[in-house]
Amino acid sequence: MTEGVIVGGWGFVVAAYCITAVGLVAYAWSLHRRTQQQQARKDKS
Amino acid sequence: MNRRIAPEHWVGLAAVVLILTGSTLGLFVAPAERHMGEVQRIMYVHVPTAWSALLCFTCAFIAAIGSLWTGRERWDATLVGAAEAGVVLNALLLVQGSLWGRATWGVWWDWDVRLTTSLVLLLLFIGVLSLRSFASGSDRRASLTAVAAIVAYVDVPLVYFCVRWWRSLHQIQSSPATVDPLMVLPMRVNAIAMALLSTWFIVRRARLELARRRANETALPDRLPLNEVHHD
Repeated sequence: MTEGVIVGGWGFVVAAYCITAVGLVAYAWSLHRRTQQQQARKDKS
Repeated sequence: MNRRIAPEHWVGLAAVVLILTGSTLGLFVAPAERHMGEVQRIMYVHVPTAWSALLCFTCAFIAAIGSLWTGRERWDATLVGAAEAGVVLNALLLVQGSLWGRATWGVWWDWDVRLTTSLVLLLLFIGVLSLRSFASGSDRRASLTAVAAIVAYVDVPLVYFCVRWWRSLHQIQSSPATVDPLMVLPMRVNAIAMALLSTWFIVRRARLELARRRANETALPDRLPLNEVHHD
């Protein structure tokens, strides 16, 4: 009996985990890039 | 060549290992929930993200008080790091919640009190960071950011307690005592992982902010002669 039970939904689960992973990696990458740029500016001056 | 690894990177590495472990447990080991089925697995990433976002904003609030109290740049840098990390995590939790809402409530968004206060919190801290980018003078910028962050933080208790104070579509906090231990484990592992990752974000962003300040301070003497010429 499946009354009142959500069936399937793996697509939403996968999307949530993937978007989270992409968001976290993108922010970590942006921090890395900005730190590198700052270091390059410091080395130049 | 000195290639010493900064201590915070070990924290970041531990966070990645724990996130992979917690997510594997949540996706493949934890049982499906009785009514929500597989969709409930979104909770193993959504709840830790929400907790970490609130922790980041709390850290920003404490740093704001420290910044106003002492005027030390380290507090200001921590405030910026915590506010920025909080904004990223808050944005992610809204997307995760939207996906969960579509699967369980049938809508991507509802102007429910928990969702609305969470959105307002995101907008308030985006406002704090925007205000900072427009302010001139490092001391004035630090003071303005601190005051704005304290004002924005007023929304945090509302976000947390609103589901108890008002009727909400969003469920209230559940107790581990009433949940299968196989469901509690991935939640706890991911919560620790997200807290560690937030720490790494905050420390890296604070270090960047301090480096920028140093660069601006050392660049200042080069500009002085131009100012002198202008005044003459």
